[in-house]
Amino acid sequence: MSDQSRYLRAIAGAMVLFVLLVGGGLLYAASGGGSRDILVTQMLINTIIVLGLQLFIGNTGILSFGHTAFGTFAGYSVAVLTMPVSRKMAQIPDAPFGVAGVHLHPLVATGVGILVALLVGVLVGLALTRSGAKSGAVAATIITLALLFVVHEVSLNWTDLTDGGGGLGFIPRLRGRFWIYLVLALSLVGTRLFSEIRVGRWNKAAREDDIAAGAVGINLVPPQTIALLASVVIIAVGASLRVQSLGSMTPVFFYFDYTLLTLAMLIVGGRKGVTGAVLGVVVITVGNEFTRYLAGGDVNVPGLGWLLRPNLSLLFLGGAMLLFMLMRPEGIIPSGEIDQLAGRFRPRIADDPPPTVPAIEPTEQRVPDGPALVVHDVGVQFGGFRALAGVDMTARPGEIVGLIGPNGAGKTTLLNIITGVVEPTTGSIRLGDRDLTDLPPHEIARAGLARTFQNLRLFGGLPVRENVAVAAMAGERYRGDRPRIDVDVLVAMAGLWNQRHRPAADLDYGSQRRLELARAAAMSPTLLLLDEPTSGMSDEESAVMIGHVRDTASRLRAGVIVIDHDLHFITNVCDRIYVLDHGRIIAEGTPAEIQRNPKVIEAYLGTRAVS
Amino acid sequence: MTDIIQQLIDGLGRGSGYALLALGLAIIFGVMHLVNFAHGEVITVSAYVSYWLAIHGTSWWLIALAALVTSTLAAVVIEFVAFRRVRGAEDFTMLLTSFGVAIVVRAGFSMWVSTKPRQFDKPGWIFNTVRVFGISLEIYDLIVIGVTAVTLAAVAYLLRRTMFGVALRAAAEDFDAARLMGIRANRVISGAFALSGLLAGVAAVMILMRRGQAEPGMGLDILLPGVLAAVIGGLGSLSGAVLGGFALGLAEVMVRAWILPEGLTGLTDGVVFALIAVLFIFRPEGFIRVGHAERV
Amino acid sequence: MSTPELEVRSLTTRYGAIRALRDASLTVGAGEVVFLIGPNGAGKTTLLNTVIGLLRPTSGQVLVRGEDVTGSSPDSMITKGVALVPEHRRIFADLTVRENLLVAGITLDSATRERRLGEMVELFPLFEQKWTTSAGYLSGGEAQQLAIARALMSDPEILLMDEPSLGLAPTLVDLVFELLARLRDEGRTMLIVEQNAQRALEIADRAYVLRSGEIIDQGTGAELRERTDLVSAYFGSEQT
Repeated sequence: MSDQSRYLRAIAGAMVLFVLLVGGGLLYAASGGGSRDILVTQMLINTIIVLGLQLFIGNTGILSFGHTAFGTFAGYSVAVLTMPVSRKMAQIPDAPFGVAGVHLHPLVATGVGILVALLVGVLVGLALTRSGAKSGAVAATIITLALLFVVHEVSLNWTDLTDGGGGLGFIPRLRGRFWIYLVLALSLVGTRLFSEIRVGRWNKAAREDDIAAGAVGINLVPPQTIALLASVVIIAVGASLRVQSLGSMTPVFFYFDYTLLTLAMLIVGGRKGVTGAVLGVVVITVGNEFTRYLAGGDVNVPGLGWLLRPNLSLLFLGGAMLLFMLMRPEGIIPSGEIDQLAGRFRPRIADDPPPTVPAIEPTEQRVPDGPALVVHDVGVQFGGFRALAGVDMTARPGEIVGLIGPNGAGKTTLLNIITGVVEPTTGSIRLGDRDLTDLPPHEIARAGLARTFQNLRLFGGLPVRENVAVAAMAGERYRGDRPRIDVDVLVAMAGLWNQRHRPAADLDYGSQRRLELARAAAMSPTLLLLDEPTSGMSDEESAVMIGHVRDTASRLRAGVIVIDHDLHFITNVCDRIYVLDHGRIIAEGTPAEIQRNPKVIEAYLGTRAVS
Repeated sequence: MTDIIQQLIDGLGRGSGYALLALGLAIIFGVMHLVNFAHGEVITVSAYVSYWLAIHGTSWWLIALAALVTSTLAAVVIEFVAFRRVRGAEDFTMLLTSFGVAIVVRAGFSMWVSTKPRQFDKPGWIFNTVRVFGISLEIYDLIVIGVTAVTLAAVAYLLRRTMFGVALRAAAEDFDAARLMGIRANRVISGAFALSGLLAGVAAVMILMRRGQAEPGMGLDILLPGVLAAVIGGLGSLSGAVLGGFALGLAEVMVRAWILPEGLTGLTDGVVFALIAVLFIFRPEGFIRVGHAERV
Repeated sequence: MSTPELEVRSLTTRYGAIRALRDASLTVGAGEVVFLIGPNGAGKTTLLNTVIGLLRPTSGQVLVRGEDVTGSSPDSMITKGVALVPEHRRIFADLTVRENLLVAGITLDSATRERRLGEMVELFPLFEQKWTTSAGYLSGGEAQQLAIARALMSDPEILLMDEPSLGLAPTLVDLVFELLARLRDEGRTMLIVEQNAQRALEIADRAYVLRSGEIIDQGTGAELRERTDLVSAYFGSEQT
């Protein structure tokens, strides 16, 4: 499907959700009094906030408790700037920045609110992405929780500006729902589109596996920061609407209870999609209202009096969250969107035929193209253990180089050093004129080294085709001048055409290995680095893999470095082989030379094998 | 000079509670990679038990003992009921499970006791001051610092010198390898929760002596500085957690005393948070870096 | 025929999509030293980890002295007299040498534990001066000895070892094999995964050859040593 039709479908899906939500709300309100009207208004505004949460939490996979705190910034900005000056003079005459004398149009005030929230977002975002990258998403979650508490504390105590716990009132009320509908529609379309555009898809890839994302050239920081700032904007606008619809603002408006409510909506519905988030809003709103009604004192169920007490809805929210975590941690809708539903009901006459894999032109075969990789005197030490010492290695363009050696020889460590995952203690790595030694993994990938992993690192929750497509987007962006293979062709070459919509984690082992190769190839690399592409495969599968590696490399005019234990595989596929033992290169040569080399046989079969 | 010492003692007093909570969190994080947002609820439960005992005229010594026992038991029960089921799950799932537990406990007290704080008598003598070398010190601060020092020493002894402690450290370093040694997964995790609960109990006694009240939502409030301390110190590092706790306590006192002008001391938390955010920008892994040996 | 000490019956283990071990069966008699050899990725480590209970098999059985222990946790395997020296040693780097051994004796009463600690120092004299050193500072050979000593703490009847010579310099490999020979002479039952096939076959009573998750060959150490086709299991089937 082309990008454009994908976007159109997403927009259509968002509009369907809009119609269902607003239509349902209007029907419900029409059958009752004014209190229902207010409830529906609040539900629509909550949806906007939940969409803001979904955009960040769903796409990045980082749990945030603090997003509603951005609502506090926007809420107070709007409150302070739209209140009548006379009220301000009475309530907060000493407000800083001279805001007591300022009166702005709600739209302008909302704009200021967005800017204030964004400013905080930039500071928090820096800390969040930096610590998240170093110590895992858990640290980021704690920072957000702290933000929530601290913002509450400050808004309670900065009485000059907020007048403390009593809050600010007399904010001009919103008339009608026009702005709410408009913002809701835009938020739905925006969040739904976000997951389809490049930055959204890169976030989802990084969510599934950050190391693999780095290996296809994705730098986590910009996509995560963009997701954060985009979500802050949505929440700021939603907060502005909430404050204007209620006509007041207090420190607890966007504090704990509201965080719990909106988070429960997102988690219960399904955080990974817009459809799930919207469903969650409806389910939790209904449940919340129902428990309030039950606990309100009007209902008498014999034997249940102990349960039907005030604050039952708190138990409902906490209990719902807890039960979903224990039973169905991905929520009611774990993945997928409403617009993708249509495809499932379409009669399956015939699947699209796989694209024809173009034949390789003779001129394309093994045309050396690109700089050579030169590893010079590389060594690394872990604690007291010297894993590699004085390793020299060259991989010339168009060449297939094997790297073999017994278990523990340091092969994967060398690959990790070349691709920037491990820092070498000594030595340098160059690709042509470019020094790669101290570059982070995503820079090295962009420079043209694409790799696979010994223990398989796919974006397990994403569809097979998407695994290749996110890498291809990076390839297009950073390696546009290199020969490329179309995404669908890569999927077909890997024999995965019929499975292209399934999550990658569901594939069998051999297919996962082939998919990893396809993903690496989508980067349009100068050099492919393959870590045990045939480990655990049967002999037949290995044989297929050999052809596959050769074919892919010639199409890309790329060189290959392949690690394997299987000498049979290596001798069949390689032009030249390096043998590593105890962290040192003990032999180098053609397959024939290596097979005859007594040192190699000794390294593999044991010290006395040759004698 | 006396001012500085007074502030220092004040900071250490605040930091003590944070350090004990952070240490408990770090111990649990070590064995099951969970940041336990329900850790503060252990204190909530103790607070209500203390309240109940206090209004029945129990002496503070017995209340303190009961708080320790309650905290320990509550921690073990929470692990058994909730966390055992999500062991080894994604971080996201475990975090929200602990958050869910915290809400359910809060809801329980809100529903069946009251949303309003319940007050009980504090031991009055702890607020007396003594003068040492011309500095007047609250007895409370001295008790807190003293008890924390003894507790930390006892924990250090436990971890270094007892079979349980060594097993716990082994499990925190490599859980599967520890199982290969014959360490039972359930037992070491229950033990870790008991120890973290006991540490929270010590903190609970200190907090209750000062506040003399129980409230449904107190858990997360109390917990937050502890969690922050654990992260500042370097998530998973035990000594880092203690260090982070004291650093946070001192930072709060210093910001309040020397950085903010008179009228704006209410913004202390905001300034401290900004400082922490800056710390994470320049030192994202916290004070002490814990090696995450991830095989690539 | 008497009941074997350890028997594995058509064991299959998956990691997610990966079927790492297929229908593997083997026996180890009392006092026997049996090796598992074969290239990397063949499923050797999976087999040991399934026997000890770190992994659960999808099908098949593990029997110790005739008793079905399939799916038992590693700690209960220790009490049944089975211990594993894991791949990559997995010593506790933050713990001292003494503490590493102490933890490994957790299933013993304290008197026995103290006695075994003493015996380990006798068996591995180098521990004496490293007693309070953090294990993270040990060299590769020292760490391997510590890993083996840890498994011996519980005095297991059946000792499983995963690549005891991994990453060691040749002289240290000699040391490890001397130790294995000594343990064999003590009459300890052992099932050992080893890449260094020739060395392994010198001290093996019997061996099984794994490839792609399946047992493709077996025989006595002497038999397998005579066979030239062993080379092909490593170097590929088209080798001659």
